[in-house]
Amino acid sequence: MVKIGVFICHCGTNIGGVVDIDELVEFSSRLDDVVFATDYKYMCSDPGARVIKEAIEEHELTRVVVTSCSPRMHEPTFQSVIEDAGLNRFCLEMANIREHCSWVHKDKKEEATQKAKELVAMAVRKSKTLEPLKSFQKEVVHDALVIGAGIAGIQASLDLAEAGKKVYLVEREPSIGGRMAQLDKTFPTLDCSSCILTPKMMDVARHPNIELLTYSEVTEVDGSVGDFDVKVKRKPAYVDWDKCNGCGECAQVCRMKGRVEDEFNEGLGKRSAIYVPFQQAVPLKYTIDPNKCLMLLSGRCGESPPCQDVCELGAIDYEQEEEMMELNVGSIIVATGYDMMDPNGMYEYGYDHSPDIITNLEFERLISSSGPTSGEIRRISDGEEVKSVSFILCVGSRDQDLQEYCCRIGCMSALKHAYLLRDHLGDEVDLNICYTDIRSFGKGYEEFYRRIRDGNTTLIRGRPSEINVEKDGSINFNVFDTMTQKLLQVNSDLVVLVPALVPRKDSGELSQILRISEGTDGFFLESHPKLKPADTATDGVFIAGCCQGPKDIPDAVAQASGAASKAMGIISREELESDPMIAWVDEDICVGCGVCIDVCPYSARELNEVTGIAEVDEILCTGCGGCIAACPSNACIHKNMTKQQILRMIDEVI
Amino acid sequence: MSIIDLTSMAEPEGEQQDKINEILKTLKEDIPNDCYQCGKCTSGCEAFILLELEPHKVMALSKSGFIDELLNSDVIWTCVTCLKCKERCPQDLAPVDVIFALKNIAVASGKQIDTGISNMLQSVLGSGYIQQPKEVVDKDNKAVTRDSLGLPSLPAPKEIQKLQQVLMKAATETLG
Repeated sequence: MVKIGVFICHCGTNIGGVVDIDELVEFSSRLDDVVFATDYKYMCSDPGARVIKEAIEEHELTRVVVTSCSPRMHEPTFQSVIEDAGLNRFCLEMANIREHCSWVHKDKKEEATQKAKELVAMAVRKSKTLEPLKSFQKEVVHDALVIGAGIAGIQASLDLAEAGKKVYLVEREPSIGGRMAQLDKTFPTLDCSSCILTPKMMDVARHPNIELLTYSEVTEVDGSVGDFDVKVKRKPAYVDWDKCNGCGECAQVCRMKGRVEDEFNEGLGKRSAIYVPFQQAVPLKYTIDPNKCLMLLSGRCGESPPCQDVCELGAIDYEQEEEMMELNVGSIIVATGYDMMDPNGMYEYGYDHSPDIITNLEFERLISSSGPTSGEIRRISDGEEVKSVSFILCVGSRDQDLQEYCCRIGCMSALKHAYLLRDHLGDEVDLNICYTDIRSFGKGYEEFYRRIRDGNTTLIRGRPSEINVEKDGSINFNVFDTMTQKLLQVNSDLVVLVPALVPRKDSGELSQILRISEGTDGFFLESHPKLKPADTATDGVFIAGCCQGPKDIPDAVAQASGAASKAMGIISREELESDPMIAWVDEDICVGCGVCIDVCPYSARELNEVTGIAEVDEILCTGCGGCIAACPSNACIHKNMTKQQILRMIDEVI
Repeated sequence: MSIIDLTSMAEPEGEQQDKINEILKTLKEDIPNDCYQCGKCTSGCEAFILLELEPHKVMALSKSGFIDELLNSDVIWTCVTCLKCKERCPQDLAPVDVIFALKNIAVASGKQIDTGISNMLQSVLGSGYIQQPKEVVDKDNKAVTRDSLGLPSLPAPKEIQKLQQVLMKAATETLG
C-alpha cells in the first residue's frame, strides 16, 4: 500500500510570500494516498531534513513529494535525506512551485496558489507509480585528455600530471604555446611573455605523465563520463620526428625560404616551406607545409630537394602518411582558445587599404624581439621611422552588428603597448589612444592605467567614424573627443586596431564531436555562469580559457586549474555511480528494427543477434531519451519517466 | 522631476520624449536608450565642422529629456541626411531619425524654423520646385540664364492649388 508524504517549503518569502501555504497543506492532505502533509520555512535546512526523516518513520511513508524549488537545485539533497531514512532515493518526486509558480506569478497570489495545488496533485499522482531503482557502479579510466596547448591547456595538463595522472595533450599546430607565445610582454606587470611561458612548455615536454601529441586533431569522441573513446588524427609532418634534432639547416636551404607567409608572425614575416613556428618551439621538430612544399605539390624540387640533401640524419620523409590514434580517457578538458576578428568586417577602418593599419596581435609581433624586425618599430609600408602611433579600441567589440560583448583585453593591451612604445622610441613619439570606456578591472590594472595617464599619451574619449588613407600612403582620421567637445584630426604613421576576440572558426565542429553547447556568441557554454564556470552540459567534459569566452591570462590560468581539479574529481575515483534513470526495453514489444541504434549518440544500443532485441548497455546509456522518442513501436521507455506516468500527470490537471 | 539643468533651469520633458518615441516607432526604430556616447556619429558627421551638429549630443539630450533646447536650436536643421551615423553606429541606433522626429515636432508645435528651410517650403508650395532657376556666372564672368542658353523655361504645375492641397494633406497627416 502506498503511503505518501507531502512536504511544502516556504523558501523564506520566495514561495511563502506568494502561495497560500496553509491552504496548500490542507489541499495536499486530502489527496488520495497522502497520509501526511506539512510545511516548513526552509525544507533544505538540517531541521527541514529532520522533519522529513521523522515523518517517514512515524507514518511509514513509502513515497515522498517535496514541493519547493527546481529539482536542479535540491533533488540530490532530498534524495539523500530519504535515503538516510531508509527509502530508495528514487522514491522522491518534486514539484517546482518556486521557479514555475511563485516567481513567475508573484503579482497573482490566488492563481499562483491554484497552480501550486495542481503541481502538487500531479507530483503526488506520479509518485504513486515511482519505481525504486538501483544505481550501479562503472569503472573509471584514470587518464585525461586536454585539447589545445595554449597557456590554459598547458596549465591544466601540468596540474593533472603533477597529481599523478597520465595526460594526453593534443595540439593542432606543430608547437605548443598558443597565443601567449606570440605576445611580447604581458600586462600589467610587463613580464616577458615567453620568459614565463617557455619554462612551462619545457615542463610539459619533460613531464613523464604527459604524452604530447602536436600537429594532431581530435576527430571522434564516443562513450561518456569516466570512459571516453577518442580518435586523434596525427597529421604527417613529412619529417621523422624521432630523427630530427631541430638543427634547422633544412629551413636555411629550402627553395621556398622567405617566400611563405608566416602565420606565427601574423603574416608580417616570411618563412620556408619546412619550418618551426618559433625558435623556442616545443617540440623543436621541423614540419613541412604540404601546401607550400614544391616536392609535395609537384613531386619535384630542382634536381633534388635540398632539405633532403642537407639532412645528415635522413629525417625528411615525403612518404609519411596520416595516422589515427585511439585513446581511452576518463575526462576531457577543452582549451582551444580564440581567433582574432578580421577587421575587414569594419570596412570604414580601412584595414586592407594600408599595410600601416595593423591589429594589436600584429603589433605584438612587430615589437617582439623575436619578431620579424627583431623588435625594431618601423613603418611596415616603407620601413621609415615611426613618429606617431594611434590605437583604436573596440573595433567590432560592443557592436550590435558584429560582436556584442567586450573583448576584456583590448584596453589593457593598448595601455601596455603605449608604455612599451614610449620605452622603445622615447619622448618624441606621439601616442594616441581612442577609447570608449577604459576597462581596467583586473588586479593591478587600474594602477597601470594611472601610469599611462601620468605620461604624455593622449587619451581621446571618442571613436573615429572612418580612417582615411591618402594617395601618398599617409593615414589620418577625425575623432570627436567627447571630453573636450572638440573634433580632432589625427595624422598617424601607424594605426593599431584592437579587434574583437571571436570563437575559433571551427569550434562548431568540435562542439558537435564533444556534444557540448555553444552560447549565442559562439563560445563554448558553461553549465552555470557563476557556479559552474568550467563544467559543460556533458558530464566529464570541462572547458578552460578563451574557448569559453574572452579573458586575460590570469583568468585563463585560474579556470584551467579549476577544470583540472574538476577532472581530477572524476579520474581519481575507482568507480562512478551511474544514474539508473536510463532507457529500458520491453522485450515483448521490441521487434529489433534498429532505429534506436542509429539515433543513439553514445553507442549504448546494440542488437542481440540471438534474441533479435535491441538491448540497452546500462553503462553507456546516459538517459538522453533519443531512442525513446525514436522507437516506432513504443518498446523503449525511460525509467521513472514513462509515457504512462506523464499521461497520468496530465490527466490529473485536465 | 528630480533633475534640473542649472545653466538654463530647464527640467526634463517626458511628454516630448513620448512624442519622439511615437514618431520613431512609425519608422520602426528603437528609442535611443542604448547609446553609450562613443561619439562615432559626431566624428564622421558631415554637418559638424561648419554647422556644429553633434548627433551624440542630440541622442544624450533626448534621452535625458532636455528636448526644448533641441527644438529651439538651429542645429537640427543642419543635418544633410548622409546616413553615416545610422550606418556606422555600433549600437544600431539612428541619430538621423531622432533629428527627423525633432524637426517634425518643431514644425508641428510652431517653433521658429530656419529661414532657408521655410523659403524652400514656400517655393515648393508656390511652384513645385525647391528653388527657382537662378542666374549663374561662368568662367568668363558672363551671366548665364536658361534663356541665354536657349533652354525653354521650366514647366510649372498646371493646377498649383491641387498640388498645395495634396502637400497640406500630407503635412497634416504626418504631423497630426
